[in-house]
Amino acid sequence: MRHVEKRGAMGIRLDRMPEVENPVLIAGWPGIGNIGIIAVDTLRGMMRAEEFGEIEPWDFFYPKRVIIRNGELMDLEFPTSKFYFKRTERQDFILFIGEEQPAQAGRAYAEGKKAYQMANLVLDVALEFGCRRVYTSGAAVAPIHHTVRPKVWAVSNSEGLIDEVRSYENTILMSDIEGREGQGNITGLNGLLLGVARKRGLEAICVMGEIPVYLQGLALAYPKASRSVLEVLTTALGIRIEMGGIDELVESSEREIERVYELFPSEMREQLDKLKYVTYAKPTEPEPITEEDKKRILEDIDKFFKKEPKED
Amino acid sequence: MSEKQTFKIYEKPKLESSCLVVGWGEDAGKLGTKVIDYLNKKLGGKEFGEIEPAGFFSLGGVSVEDDVAQFPESKFYWFPEKYLVTLKSNRPTSDWYKFLDSVLDVAEHYCRAKELYTIGGMVSPAAHTSPRELLAVANSPEMREILGLYELSRDMDYETPPGQRPTLNSYLLWVAKRRNVAAASIWVPIPFYLVAAEDPQAWRKTVEFLDRRFGLGIDFRDLDEDAARQNEKLAELRSRSSEVDSYIRKLESNLGLTQEENEELVREVEEFFRRRD
Repeated sequence: MRHVEKRGAMGIRLDRMPEVENPVLIAGWPGIGNIGIIAVDTLRGMMRAEEFGEIEPWDFFYPKRVIIRNGELMDLEFPTSKFYFKRTERQDFILFIGEEQPAQAGRAYAEGKKAYQMANLVLDVALEFGCRRVYTSGAAVAPIHHTVRPKVWAVSNSEGLIDEVRSYENTILMSDIEGREGQGNITGLNGLLLGVARKRGLEAICVMGEIPVYLQGLALAYPKASRSVLEVLTTALGIRIEMGGIDELVESSEREIERVYELFPSEMREQLDKLKYVTYAKPTEPEPITEEDKKRILEDIDKFFKKEPKED
Repeated sequence: MSEKQTFKIYEKPKLESSCLVVGWGEDAGKLGTKVIDYLNKKLGGKEFGEIEPAGFFSLGGVSVEDDVAQFPESKFYWFPEKYLVTLKSNRPTSDWYKFLDSVLDVAEHYCRAKELYTIGGMVSPAAHTSPRELLAVANSPEMREILGLYELSRDMDYETPPGQRPTLNSYLLWVAKRRNVAAASIWVPIPFYLVAAEDPQAWRKTVEFLDRRFGLGIDFRDLDEDAARQNEKLAELRSRSSEVDSYIRKLESNLGLTQEENEELVREVEEFFRRRD
């Protein structure tokens, strides 16, 4: 076992040193709809990536489970932050999956010193194995209907990657979204890693699957967006994976969402149903509803949820 | 903040060896702070150091309780002639491992602590008229053996249920285990309707254990008087409110209460103590 002590007392434990060449790092943490982490974990499972190390948890996390047997404390379990690798003919990969974001008590997303330390530790490992490119994944809260195929918002950490990102299928840039002028925020580690990668000279792209604005606060997973993210990632990386597993997940989540949707007041559902016809990206051809309709629907939804669209 | 700045020691305690007893604020029945305050006052505890709050507590302002601004504190006390050190602390809100490691640093390096005890109240569905019983969790088989010399229930089986997190006491036991320091959590069930109030019977039971374990020679009359006064107050409430009396009677007969009855009992008891105090 190799024990790497870096960045003060915080440690990385590598159980083995995989022989990978110029690997791409794909990292995921939980966030809205768990879109990113489901995508990365599905990739890990389908690629049969092998675990090779982890970031020691105690400096970042409060424990998640204690086990007491016959009056003796046997174990204390922490959220895991694990590294996996996969060699393929075309491209080698390092995957990182964080079970939780190292947040302060009562907050969902990492921020501040701990988040920065965690991002750096992940990149320490990536750089140690010669990685030059990083992908992260998360959610983009958007005024869409859950029956619509989610698009993928993509943000890169350098101008040089924009043309490549623009070429991904079913993907949009922030500048494609009406009213945004290319501006936005990516909350938590799925976003922060992009910035830290830029600081350390690595290329990075965050791909965010869209989640309907009315589902963001419901603590439901949204694997439909994870599937969109997977489609983009696998195409960009030139790999093929079996989608049967995630399709089953999508079907079961759709049933759950329909069940919840039926519980919404009918007046609200009528409004939300109009989202099936809303295009919020800059239109390239005539739309099925008027600009005025669209504005009213989005205002109504905003009023109902009293939340601004956001990304994570 | 550098590693060395996590705590301040004002005066190095003169101890050949010791045991550290830790009590947290925001505890059920105010058990943690009341027991530590009691020991400190009764045995003449001398404050000798503290853990600095920066990095462990949210310092974005102060909370105000009973018109007084509060500030997180983590203070150590020692007792000349006794085999005892205490820590009275608020619960840290971040960087828990570093905080608990600092507790062990002070205990081992400045107090030569060989054992560590945490005390805590746990919510119980029983009535206040039921006798308090101590439960213990050890961090090693050897510590469990030591606890066998005392009247403690030490056969607990437990796993944190989904959606909940382990207690800070369990976390401290685990950190102590990593550093090969024998440690135990001592738990006292507190009737659920006294969780936000006070439970002198639970304080007495805990102090009784510590007295036996460390040969402190404590005279318990004052704690007995506190417990008797509390029982009188609750008896008065029962005589005034037939509803409260019926709820407590049900608990005394081992009958459960509905959620609404639970909430009503808690509300009545809290309101009564607020008016009385």
